[in-house]
Amino acid sequence: MKKLLIVDDEKEICEFLKAFFEERNFEVYTANSGVSAIKYIQELTPQLVLLDIHMPGMDGINALKWIKEKYPKVKVIMVTALETREKIEEAMRLGADNYITKPLSLEYLEKDVQEKIAQLT
Amino acid sequence: MSLYLKKRKKLLKKLCVGTSLFFFGSAGFFVFSIVFKNLFSRSQAHPLLFVFLMSVISIAAYKPLDIAFTQLFKNYLFKKKTFAHMTLMELAEELALVLDLQELSNLIVNTFGEVFHLKTAALLIPNRVRGDFEIASAYGWNISDCYRVRFSKDSLLIKLIHSTGGPILVRDRAIRTFSWQEANALAHDFDCLRASWIFPLFVKEELLGAVGLGAFSAHGLFDEADFQVFREFARSAAKSLRNALSVSELKTANGELQDIQSQLLQATKLTAIEQLATGLAHEIHNPLTIISGKAQVLLLQKDRNQIDKKVEEVLKTIVKQTKRAADITRKLLMFSQSSGLPKERLQLEQILEDTISLVSYQTSLEGIRISRAITRPIPPLYANVQEMREVFFNLLLNAVQSIGSQGKIHCEIRDRIKDQIVEVRISDTGRGIPPEHIDKLFNPFFTTRPEAVGLGLFVTKQIIHRYAGSIRVESRTGEGSLFTIQWPYLESSPMADQKAETLSLFPNA
Repeated sequence: MKKLLIVDDEKEICEFLKAFFEERNFEVYTANSGVSAIKYIQELTPQLVLLDIHMPGMDGINALKWIKEKYPKVKVIMVTALETREKIEEAMRLGADNYITKPLSLEYLEKDVQEKIAQLT
Repeated sequence: MSLYLKKRKKLLKKLCVGTSLFFFGSAGFFVFSIVFKNLFSRSQAHPLLFVFLMSVISIAAYKPLDIAFTQLFKNYLFKKKTFAHMTLMELAEELALVLDLQELSNLIVNTFGEVFHLKTAALLIPNRVRGDFEIASAYGWNISDCYRVRFSKDSLLIKLIHSTGGPILVRDRAIRTFSWQEANALAHDFDCLRASWIFPLFVKEELLGAVGLGAFSAHGLFDEADFQVFREFARSAAKSLRNALSVSELKTANGELQDIQSQLLQATKLTAIEQLATGLAHEIHNPLTIISGKAQVLLLQKDRNQIDKKVEEVLKTIVKQTKRAADITRKLLMFSQSSGLPKERLQLEQILEDTISLVSYQTSLEGIRISRAITRPIPPLYANVQEMREVFFNLLLNAVQSIGSQGKIHCEIRDRIKDQIVEVRISDTGRGIPPEHIDKLFNPFFTTRPEAVGLGLFVTKQIIHRYAGSIRVESRTGEGSLFTIQWPYLESSPMADQKAETLSLFPNA
């Protein structure tokens, strides 16, 4: 089963994304901060992480740094409320596999997620 | 003073002197006859004695009487010059209170011109930026001529004023002291200032200016007494001039400071908007994501949940409108971070069509007709789609708002092959732009509508400039406005292959 971790400080966002991906036969976990994201990754080793850039405490960029250092194989798609180019460029430089801007187009997101996971196998 | 007046004055003086002489003669003879009677006890003197006596008295008294009358006339009866001198001294005192450089200059030259009935009077002042001397104000000149006359610090005239210091320079006298070449140059300087006399304004060695005076007939108009008054006037006026010059410099500095301040304010405002937009984006995009996301989830489950057609429409609208709301905050940030936006080959007519369809709902409600004239084929533009839509959208919206209801908007795209320019013209039959607003139209935060932010046309101009284009506006109040945009042709990639490509992209075009 495809394992997916959704990290966003907005619970509602995690909620509908979870509903959406579970319907598409994903095993979905959610985290609301960078720190708990790291914990989940260590425990569950998901194939792909949807990572929000702007979070209180440890933000998406720092979490990304950690993930790509420890688990370089895990695919990471950054989610951003507004693309400040510097931030996005930094994320891509740090090894993010793609980025998507809010509000999300679920169709596009699913396509992208499937594509990235397909690359793993 | 005129010749006519001078003659009359002379005649009057002669008459007075003659009458006085006769009076003195008669009185002398009367005294003499009494003394003669007592001395010689004779009733009658010889008539020749009378004539002799009168002659003696006349010869003796003529000169003192003449001088006395001349003085009398000068001081009391024909005191025109004295009046002029007094006016000058009063002016000198008054000038101390005038701080405006232009007003002070005008006062000086006009007073000289009018009081002495001069042909010209001009005031030279230093221009500290350029380091030369220019005319601050001139009497009897065309204003346009004033700007043309300048004296460099090395010009003979300025050098002469520096070297001689205080005294009044008289053209003919000054020229005579030089060799013929220098005399020519100096005469030229005098003629440039249209002056026969020049007196400098010094404050402690510093030359603050000079007054040049020119007369209709220069000969003998001013004498040493006048020069004395001029010197006194110059001493006092120079101080006032120095104050006025300082005030004028302060004003200039203040103006520059204000300009910089307003630029700074503008920059601060922009930064504030940027921060606001970023903040807004984060605060608004999350709720929008949730609204849109949940609607999308429902939509994707529609087959399973059997959603009503109407509900499906509503859900679709929700998704669409949340995207639109998100675009607003994105747009707000566009002008600050758009240099790296993806660019592609665009057909302007397509963008125009797209944008017209965006505003068409509103225009149909308001009874506004949009017509277009496109001379195909239009060479493509290499730009960002969103930005180009933004340009057309802002201009169209502007036109719609200017019209209000019932009117026409005409859009035109032309290929000006000769100039290698693509030209877009958007005109409306709206209320037009008042002339005083035209200059400010593209400034950020300029708006006449209280509910607007005033960024539309500013962003539009920024975008157009980014693609090396230009935008200008013509407007007549009550008749409408015309916005003209011009973009230079794409320099890279040959036209032919672009055309083929766009044809396949837009088969209708």
